[in-house]
Amino acid sequence: MPWRRLALSFLLLALPVLALAGAVQFAQSLLLERIAITLCINLVLVVGLQVFMGNAGILSFAHIGFMGVGAYAAAVLSIPAQMKGMALPDLYPLLEGVAVAPMVAILAGVAVAALVAALVSYPLMRLSDAAAVITSFALLVVLHTLMLHWSAVTNGPRTLFGLPKATTLGLAAGAALAVIAVALLFKESRTGLLLRASRDDEIAAGAIGVRIPALRWRAFVLSAAIAALGGGLWGHFITSFSPKAFYLKETFVVLGMLVIGGASTVSGAVLGTFLVTLAFEGLRAVEGALNRAQLFAGQVVGLTEVALACAMILFLILRPGGLLPTAEIGALRRTRPESDR
Amino acid sequence: MLEVAGLEVRYGAVRAVRGASLAVGDGELVALLGANGAGKSSTLRAIAGALRPAAGSIRLDGQEVLGTSPERMVRLGAAMVPETRDVFPDLTVGENLRLGAFTRRGDAQGVAADRERMLAMFPVLRERQDQPAGTLSGGEQQMLVIARAMMSRPRLLLLDEPSLGLAPTIVQRIFAMIVELRRAGLTILLVEQNAAQALAIADRAYVMRQGEIAASGPAAEIAAATDLQQLYLGG
Amino acid sequence: MTAFLQFVVDVLALGGAYALMALGLVIVYGILRLVNFAYGELIMVTGYTLFLLGGSPLPWILMAAVAVLMAVLTGIVTDHVAFRPVRTKSVTAVLITSFAFSTLLQNAALLLISPRPRSVPLPDIFSETVRLGGVVTPVRNLITIATAVVLLALFALLMKRSVLGLAMRAAAANFTMARMLGVPANLVITSAFAISGLLAGIVALLWLGRSASVAPGIGLEPLLVAFIATVIGGMRSLEGAVIGGFLLAFIDTSLNHLLPQDLLKFRDAFTFTAVILILLWRPEGLIRGPAAGRRT
Repeated sequence: MPWRRLALSFLLLALPVLALAGAVQFAQSLLLERIAITLCINLVLVVGLQVFMGNAGILSFAHIGFMGVGAYAAAVLSIPAQMKGMALPDLYPLLEGVAVAPMVAILAGVAVAALVAALVSYPLMRLSDAAAVITSFALLVVLHTLMLHWSAVTNGPRTLFGLPKATTLGLAAGAALAVIAVALLFKESRTGLLLRASRDDEIAAGAIGVRIPALRWRAFVLSAAIAALGGGLWGHFITSFSPKAFYLKETFVVLGMLVIGGASTVSGAVLGTFLVTLAFEGLRAVEGALNRAQLFAGQVVGLTEVALACAMILFLILRPGGLLPTAEIGALRRTRPESDR
Repeated sequence: MLEVAGLEVRYGAVRAVRGASLAVGDGELVALLGANGAGKSSTLRAIAGALRPAAGSIRLDGQEVLGTSPERMVRLGAAMVPETRDVFPDLTVGENLRLGAFTRRGDAQGVAADRERMLAMFPVLRERQDQPAGTLSGGEQQMLVIARAMMSRPRLLLLDEPSLGLAPTIVQRIFAMIVELRRAGLTILLVEQNAAQALAIADRAYVMRQGEIAASGPAAEIAAATDLQQLYLGG
Repeated sequence: MTAFLQFVVDVLALGGAYALMALGLVIVYGILRLVNFAYGELIMVTGYTLFLLGGSPLPWILMAAVAVLMAVLTGIVTDHVAFRPVRTKSVTAVLITSFAFSTLLQNAALLLISPRPRSVPLPDIFSETVRLGGVVTPVRNLITIATAVVLLALFALLMKRSVLGLAMRAAAANFTMARMLGVPANLVITSAFAISGLLAGIVALLWLGRSASVAPGIGLEPLLVAFIATVIGGMRSLEGAVIGGFLLAFIDTSLNHLLPQDLLKFRDAFTFTAVILILLWRPEGLIRGPAAGRRT
């Protein structure tokens, strides 16, 4: 196993995250800090999706649903007891007095999402092609409907507020680094290797006795857990949200980052997240400026999404593997042939 | 009529056809023989435009047609009968035949005449005209795909393993039909594993081995060659 | 008796709309194996075209025709933007481009028109009601039923009798073989998208009649409906899509009557759980389509 390249890849991917965090600390700018935290949370979400999509080669729409599960589960546990009456008026009495530290709540959210994913997803992993996509889409709709109407724990379609602001840049960056490391390790693990082999040739992999559904299931549960981590962090960063934050729009953005960077590699996921997040912030600023200047009669909205959609389509046509389609960044640098294997 | 030179077909890293060259003259019946996996079907599919070769040249009537789409090849006069006997199972026999004449819109009379000719040649198809093609037996399906291909009034018929999986008596009937079609002036390239039977009706033959043309010559010579077995087994 | 008749009319009207929606999705999926996520936006485009034509002096029927034509054109554009360039690549790539194209159209509407609903011109007859054997029902429902019957009959005729219909059915069973008989791939693909657009455009006129307005997200519900109906009816079977549409309408209408209010809001969760279970049981949907099937 290419441990040295793996370590190198990790270092090269960690570098920009650390550099960004350092720069923000130095600049002491609230705007920059907000962007940096958003970026780190996006990293968690996108790399989390890469764990499933990149290794299993199947598009999953349910990812952001698990982000929502993580966010709501963590919120129910971390909203201070005195806020609960207002934030969650219909909450079950059993949970009313519960208020744990945000970190604990976030981890509990991860556990809840992983459990839900583990229970729900196993039979789904048998499916491929259109059936797999529609079931994952259906799963997203089911999760969304639950968030929308299970008022006891979500406050229904209304905004849930009162989460303590606990996600610092350090925490978000640490989580991003941990997730990158986990994704790299998973990709090189036995499960990851077999999954990738099965993606390229399902029949051959079946022939050597690989049980593909079981492998996919592991990737899916890990991926859902990471999504929930992203959700918990985001919840404790934004402090108030509603179910519509965890639906098709967010799915589209996360998918866009992954596709542009390259779904097959962790490095691609990281690169895509950096590029798209920064481009988004730039375009949002343009939108804001246009709105302030009042050049147009109405509000300028949707410009960023239009740009991202165009970029995604162009990438899939011209460079279907994304920016980093095959090799991790640590393996790219070495162009010398095989000498150090 | 057909000249293939230096044809290369790859599936990923696998080179299924490695620089194969062959020619079929007007009105000839040429057999392309070889063991399973020798690259015969790939060669035929490449000629029909159903897969894109990596390199080489395919000329039909002197015109380069490499990389031409399958639908265009039909219009140029080359019709393919794949080994998988792809009838459209939910369409009736009649509808299958009607689709075979897809390229001949505006020639209703000619189509009707050809349909009559095919139904006369394969009477069993007339009986089953309104049945879904999926309910036909293997032999009947083979007749249907040949008749369907003939509905485009091709000049060159590409036949892939017409004997595959059929009972010997049926195979004999199908081969008799092939001879009859050829007598009517059709040029035929016949891919077969069943060498003896193919050589009995062919003018010339090519033998493929591991993606290459290993031998060629008049059918009688190939049939007489003692090393035929060897060629097949790759010795 | 009256209640029963009311129920039947409701189911038929809703089912007619659902069946047309499902058919428009399946015609593309059956032939091209593409789950077209941008399908709902065809309905959105029809709505916005009507809205933009709203101030014009044209007679409504002409506006409607232009709006449906726009849906057909958008269908064809979907093919050229999201499908054709990536069709030889992976299934995933095609899905993502259609998803991206859906988002593109929605946000273009947000950007160029407005996030808020816009009212569309509709003829007065759409808001009138009639009394039929004791049942009071919007005329719109009867129009929907009649339209569905006529369109489904025309569609069946096209698929069974015309050469193009035969070619499309053949392509759905085995695309490569159809091409080897001289059926041009592009003709089949473009026709599929155009028919999909036509069905979506016409169903949009009826669907818009419910709220008389259009918003960027209007396509989501029809898309979800088409998904479910398709899964119930078999993802590759055209007849199945129609049956699925009516069946879904029956289930929806029954649930509306039977479920208590508390549970009714979870209806989508129930139906989509059912979708998952059906697909687990039969990945090709409840009703089987043509036997063989291959991508291009």
